[in-house]
Amino acid sequence: MSRRLRLLGVSAIVAGVAGAAIPATASAVPVITMSGSTSVAPLASLLAKAYLKQYPGRVKFKLAQGGSDVGVADVAAGRVTVGNSSRDPKDSDPGGLVFNKIAKDAICIVTNPGNPLANLSQDTIQAIFSGQLRNWEDVPGAGTTGSINLVVRTAASGTQDAFQKIFMGSKTVFSGASAKASNGLVQQTVASDKNAVGYVSQDFVKGTNAVSYQGVGCTLAGAKSGEYGGVRNFWMVTRGHPRVASALQKFIHWAQTSSKAQKVVATHWVPLR
Amino acid sequence: MLERLREPWSDRRAERMLGALASVVLLLIVLMIVFVAARAWPSFQHNGLSWFTGKGDVDVQIGNQVNTGAKPTSADYQIGVWPLIWGTVLTTGFAVLIGLAFAIFAAIFIVEFAPGGLRRVVVPVVRLLAAVPSVIYGLIGILVLVPFVNDHLVSEARKKSVQYVINLSGTGLIVSVVILTVMITPIMIAIITDALYAVPRGWKEGAVALGVNRWRAMWTVSVRAARPAIIAAVVLACARALGEAIMLSMVSGSKGFAPNPADGLTFIFEPLRPLASTIVEDAESLNAPAVQASVYSFALLLLFSSLVLSIGAWLAKQPMKKYGIRV
Amino acid sequence: MAVAPQTEPLRPIRPPRKRRVNESLSTWRWGDRIAFVLCWASGIALCAIAGGIVLYMAFKGLQYLSFELLTARPQPSADQKASGGFLDPIIGTVVLTVIGIVIATPIAVATAFWIVEYGRPSWLARAVESGIEVVAGTPDIVIAIFGLALFQQGIFSLLSFTAQGGAVFGRSFLTAGAMMSLIALPMVFGATREGLQSVSAHVREASYALGKTKIATIRRVLLPSVKPNISTGAALGMGRIAGDTAVVVVLLGATLRIDPESSFPGVGLLRGTGGTLTSYVYNNSSAGEGNAKEKAYAAAFVLLLIVIGLNFAVDAIAKRGAQTGLESTRLGT
Repeated sequence: MSRRLRLLGVSAIVAGVAGAAIPATASAVPVITMSGSTSVAPLASLLAKAYLKQYPGRVKFKLAQGGSDVGVADVAAGRVTVGNSSRDPKDSDPGGLVFNKIAKDAICIVTNPGNPLANLSQDTIQAIFSGQLRNWEDVPGAGTTGSINLVVRTAASGTQDAFQKIFMGSKTVFSGASAKASNGLVQQTVASDKNAVGYVSQDFVKGTNAVSYQGVGCTLAGAKSGEYGGVRNFWMVTRGHPRVASALQKFIHWAQTSSKAQKVVATHWVPLR
Repeated sequence: MLERLREPWSDRRAERMLGALASVVLLLIVLMIVFVAARAWPSFQHNGLSWFTGKGDVDVQIGNQVNTGAKPTSADYQIGVWPLIWGTVLTTGFAVLIGLAFAIFAAIFIVEFAPGGLRRVVVPVVRLLAAVPSVIYGLIGILVLVPFVNDHLVSEARKKSVQYVINLSGTGLIVSVVILTVMITPIMIAIITDALYAVPRGWKEGAVALGVNRWRAMWTVSVRAARPAIIAAVVLACARALGEAIMLSMVSGSKGFAPNPADGLTFIFEPLRPLASTIVEDAESLNAPAVQASVYSFALLLLFSSLVLSIGAWLAKQPMKKYGIRV
Repeated sequence: MAVAPQTEPLRPIRPPRKRRVNESLSTWRWGDRIAFVLCWASGIALCAIAGGIVLYMAFKGLQYLSFELLTARPQPSADQKASGGFLDPIIGTVVLTVIGIVIATPIAVATAFWIVEYGRPSWLARAVESGIEVVAGTPDIVIAIFGLALFQQGIFSLLSFTAQGGAVFGRSFLTAGAMMSLIALPMVFGATREGLQSVSAHVREASYALGKTKIATIRRVLLPSVKPNISTGAALGMGRIAGDTAVVVVLLGATLRIDPESSFPGVGLLRGTGGTLTSYVYNNSSAGEGNAKEKAYAAAFVLLLIVIGLNFAVDAIAKRGAQTGLESTRLGT
């Protein structure tokens, strides 16, 4: 290799290392880093975009994913400023964390469009999902016959947690039910199998028949008014209460109270007020 | 100093440098194994050998562990992993066996029987199949194969016959094995083809000169000479099958259920879940110490199986050394 | 007196025309005939499966694919129509694949040469081989979690960014690329090792007889002759990297856009987070929570095309190198 080429290579490496070592020129703009739940991520990115539109240049956002537990662990260790979580606080979470509620999410029981079940009471839901009733003939109002194909979520899911607490109470879900790893997979299974029944977030009911719960339809309006019983919370977790007048505190306060934020939330989720 | 580096290297220095590089790679791998073992230890400590048996519904046990606090008791660590182990053995075993047969025939086709134009098509096709991301295989599985199996292959009577035990719905053993076979066969084909090409031409020509037909010449001479490469290909494909997580979590049914061969034909439709898919599905709740111990213990078992595979392959290659074939 | 015979002008001698040997199957045994049919069936089945996959993804993806999608940056939006394209994931895939394979190939080739040519002490060689095969069998999620724990240590803060609390974020293109190279390593290593073992002994012996040292033999004789094997391994490795989702989600952050760490060109990008087409497809398809299925299929089709393109590129590089090498040392081709 010619001497000039070698010199060029060495100076490029030195410049690269120097560029990495020197911290980014201290911009006056604070950076809010977020990581965590994949369910909350779409909402978080929309809120970030709307916040920047209303107050341009005030902060910079960095949004990563990885799951609710990863978000909580990151925020407790100080690696990010906000952790997104779609599950309620648990005992195993590290101490010193504050869970700020930013939105609610409705959970709908869904069946195939070829099985236009109109309404289910809590007793029937518990009987179906606990495995007591295994045939559609035994369910009043069913539009199909045959063996019930139960579709639930896997054990680690926040939606599963909420479903268990709100709909099932103390009864356990039938151990033989098909488990899926995401809302989309449940939606896709229920939409393609006539005998399937499952539960999804309200955002994912396209292509399926959303069943009313105890007489109340599973819609955004019903959930917002409080009549629909099956709602779960989305949280933004911070390490301790955010300092007053800091950029972080302003953002969270905006997300929880301002009308623009509520409008953003209301597109697909249930706003707080 | 740069001048000294530019002199022709002596053999000893080259050997030491290359050896040092290989040792660094080994060190990193050992670090990873130690990391996994350290975090997996509590699960083995509290379960002992009963970790390998079936102690009831493993999904319920994991579900309980997800909800334990930061200081789990010994009872919280209890788990019986047999259904997951059985699921892994079934999917990997069937996929590798079927894939090996498929791969040998396809490799012989590429090397011997394919006309030139078709060969120029098939070789890139093999590379393409090896490179399709597992998410796409998973999507095709759940969009095409699973509804097909659910609607046409699993009859209503079959579903009713097991309905109080398990839900039959298309996802299960047969779809997993089919897609996993398609995923790992290209790896085997690529390596076996390279090996068949490397067999000295004179050996095969000698067989043909004696009047043996082309297939038999390939089978008795080239394939036999390429046995070390076939073993290496099987090990690599087995390892890939053991580590496949995302595609299998979409099409295997995601149930910690041990398919029962005594069920007859229903056996191939029953859902299951291999170890790697379990790790992916529970990776979101790694904060709870009990779940962390269980998940890392699955990972440790997988690492250990790869180690056993590797040593087994080395043992199988030893008898082949006497024919002058370099192993 | 003998007259010199009138010779005709010399005609060029052409080699005898290749004629297809008419070996009819009727002379074969039944078992061999079945095997012949199975061979052809496997070959055709391979093409049919690959064609089916590509056509299906094309059918589902082309419906929604448009040129804007390829050049527009992704926007966060709840509605599929307003959520932009996937330029950033495409750049992310290419950058990550290049980083991963550039790190993996030299290390894997050097290790393979050391094991086959030197391999002393033998317990170390055995351990390295087994170690690499263990890595081949590790699920990518385990490698990702290990990488995250490793790169969140303070020494590696140069590779990603340091948060205000003092903790290292640990996620960036460099860290993800480093772990991706670990994933591609076994493929390149295995293919190179097989190629080296198939080079006949007398090639090496001829080189030693001419007085070359072992390292010179490696550099001038063996390396060019195993270039096709290295390219096979690299193609397999790149396929594995381009298709990997778990490492991207855990170690790259799977952000919607590429987020460079600083405005320093190149280095800022490498230390920043981003997403790839696999994480984009995974997030937006049924398996994730993005709920944008048509975009996912379009992105999946683009990913397939990129992988095919990468394969062709590797083939072209290998062919160019092989012409100057000692191809004739590989008997049987």
